[in-house]
Amino acid sequence: MSRSFETSSLQIENLTILREKTALLSLNETIKGGEVLTIMGPSGSGKSTLLNWLTGMLPKGFQAEGNVYLNSVNITQTASYQRHIGLLYQDALLFPHLSVADNIAFAMPKGDKKARARKISFALAEVGLAGLDNRHPDSLSGGQQARVALLRVLLSQPKAILLDEAFSKLDSQLRQETRQLVFEQIKQHQLPAIMVTHDESDAIAANGKVIHLSATPEQHN
Amino acid sequence: MSNSLVTKTPLSDRLFNAIVKISPKVLMAILILPVLGGLFGVILPAFGWLPALDKTQFNVHGFQQLIQTPGIAQMIGLSFFTSIVSGLLAFIITLLLLATYFDSPWLPRIQRLLGPILVIPHAAAAIAIAFLITPSGMFARLLSPWLTGWQNPIDWLLPHDPYGISIIMGLTLKELPFLLLMTLSAIAQPALNIKLRAQYRLALSLGYYPMTAFFKAVLPNIYPLMRLPILAILAYASASVEMPLILGPNAPPTLAVAIMNWFHDVDLSLRIKASAGALLQLLITMSVLITWWLLEKITLAITCKSLSNGKRTYGDAFWAKIINFFTVLLISFITLALLGMVFWSFAGYWQFPLALPEQWVLVHWQSALLQVQTPIINSLSIGLVATSIAIILTLLTLEFEKQNGALLSNYSSLIIYLPLMIPSIAFLFGLVWLQEALHSKAIFMNVALAHLLFVLPYVFLSLASSYRRLDPRYAQVAASLGASPFKIFLQVSLPQLLMPIMMASALGLAISFSQYLPTLLVGGGRLNTVTTEAVSLANGASRRTSAVYALIQMLLPAIAFSMIWLVSTLQNRQKKNTKVNL
Repeated sequence: MSRSFETSSLQIENLTILREKTALLSLNETIKGGEVLTIMGPSGSGKSTLLNWLTGMLPKGFQAEGNVYLNSVNITQTASYQRHIGLLYQDALLFPHLSVADNIAFAMPKGDKKARARKISFALAEVGLAGLDNRHPDSLSGGQQARVALLRVLLSQPKAILLDEAFSKLDSQLRQETRQLVFEQIKQHQLPAIMVTHDESDAIAANGKVIHLSATPEQHN
Repeated sequence: MSNSLVTKTPLSDRLFNAIVKISPKVLMAILILPVLGGLFGVILPAFGWLPALDKTQFNVHGFQQLIQTPGIAQMIGLSFFTSIVSGLLAFIITLLLLATYFDSPWLPRIQRLLGPILVIPHAAAAIAIAFLITPSGMFARLLSPWLTGWQNPIDWLLPHDPYGISIIMGLTLKELPFLLLMTLSAIAQPALNIKLRAQYRLALSLGYYPMTAFFKAVLPNIYPLMRLPILAILAYASASVEMPLILGPNAPPTLAVAIMNWFHDVDLSLRIKASAGALLQLLITMSVLITWWLLEKITLAITCKSLSNGKRTYGDAFWAKIINFFTVLLISFITLALLGMVFWSFAGYWQFPLALPEQWVLVHWQSALLQVQTPIINSLSIGLVATSIAIILTLLTLEFEKQNGALLSNYSSLIIYLPLMIPSIAFLFGLVWLQEALHSKAIFMNVALAHLLFVLPYVFLSLASSYRRLDPRYAQVAASLGASPFKIFLQVSLPQLLMPIMMASALGLAISFSQYLPTLLVGGGRLNTVTTEAVSLANGASRRTSAVYALIQMLLPAIAFSMIWLVSTLQNRQKKNTKVNL
């Protein structure tokens, strides 16, 4: 496994994603722990497809060439559930059948029940959600849900994190706060991150490399 | 309405509005009155009131007779356990299939394979399974003599085993496709589907193995949608007649079969005992439903803590292998049962351990086709009448919903499911009794109306979602162009619903074709359909004739569905051609 003196990294090597034999995008990048790579582009340019490939969930009709290394381990053929790549979507996607605390517990590794509960309470308090442990996710505001979703990903101890338009459903004030929180946490945990967005301000806030994908040429005239 | 001040509303529009207004009430009445009337017609004789036999005093003799019936405890036990066990098996298999193939292209394939079984009548399915497991059936033939060493069919337990294993096999196999398809159609609603898939992927990205991800992240959110179909199959199974009649033991049979025999006995005084039995049947069905509810609560209490314990796998890889194996087994089981039936229907001489007939003949089909004409015409005409009424009433009720801008109340929706939840054996006898009391002689209409009770819920279920999904803006555009509600209904709504209406019609026909008990009881045995013929042949006549009838039973709904398929293909082609011409 990865040696401790190595900083964590996510490396995309000579990737080409094809849709019905037409190249959709090509990429060759290395993201170090704590860095955020921003991918921008119009819809249809393959932003989400890239994330799907990284998580091992490339939809039917797409092919990919190239490799992905997580902390120097080639995970190109690894099953989704063994990749340890966390995902944040624009929807919080909290499980409606679990409480706030259980949603986070769901993501955490197995362990002593009390220790886990303490950790959850502490984490909730850290992001300003103290005491909401046993609330139902639906009773939370959009911003609160986004923060719970973030905690859920972080406490699952991912080795990298992907943000799929993660802030696009929040209004501008909330958006700024949540974004700041997410980027702080990414830095603090030294996680390599890829953010897909169509918002300039997200890219500026990420303060990292930005790649603009172009729209694919129309296949039929 | 006030627009009559501006222009006078034409008669057709006023008539349409009036019909739409009363149609929900008519629909409710058609469902409630026979069920309540039928229950009433069972309760009175159960307590000794049967004027036809000059019995007009209330007493509990019927119940005393019932309790003293030899083997009554076994009858009750058989009814209770076959329904609970088969329901549980169907539920577990559905879950395992969903969990294993949730994100795989195999799920739609399995759905397509199992789908047709949904419309196979219970009687035909029972006959197919009996052929498979009987001592000289396909199982024994395929395993003999190389594995078993049998040169002649040996006497073994199945079918008609006293423990109800054969019944459980039959019920499970019939309930499984129903439950699976109901669940899949419930989770196919676009908004829900997107959410479930996203949550499933999220669980995978958090390191959950696929099956565990399904059980912990998806199942808790879809179980509430499965509950009603499960209760419906449990209620049906606890009181079904065809399956236990063809696959079950005779002495004693299940309670439902026993009740039917008592009602048909030449000794009319047995009707009092039968009515008491029908009430007991209601109690059994209720206790089956309550048992399920308790099992649900217990399971929830045991498992809810483990949902968030962070455990990512429970031997997923192992289970996936086992389930792949059993899925193949299940599909071969079904294929074999159907093949066996086709073989028998063409078989001439067919000695025991041989897997294929030595002679292939058409004589069984030829002789059956000569006799089956009247039953086919009866099946078709009853089916068409019941289905047409069901479709028209459903459309009008849904139009009423649209015009009122509100869905039916929960109370009304519950009533639509009433005939599915109350065992038919409990109220059909009362219904017959009422018809006798009212001296109703119109056998055909009585049978068609009895079928309507069972056709209507399915037609409503199948049409409601499509009607409610219609984009209301088309109707609004039409109204702004000056179209009356009647014109909008006929020229805007209905054409958009052509395919759903065709599908619902085919489903309605299939449900009607498969009805055994209502045809037999309400028709008083004087109106033979393919299904009543098939059941009465199943336990007596030659296996070859029985196979032909069961196959005809399967072919009728298959023809209905192929016609729908043909119409939709032609329609699509027409659309394409029109586009090209433009």
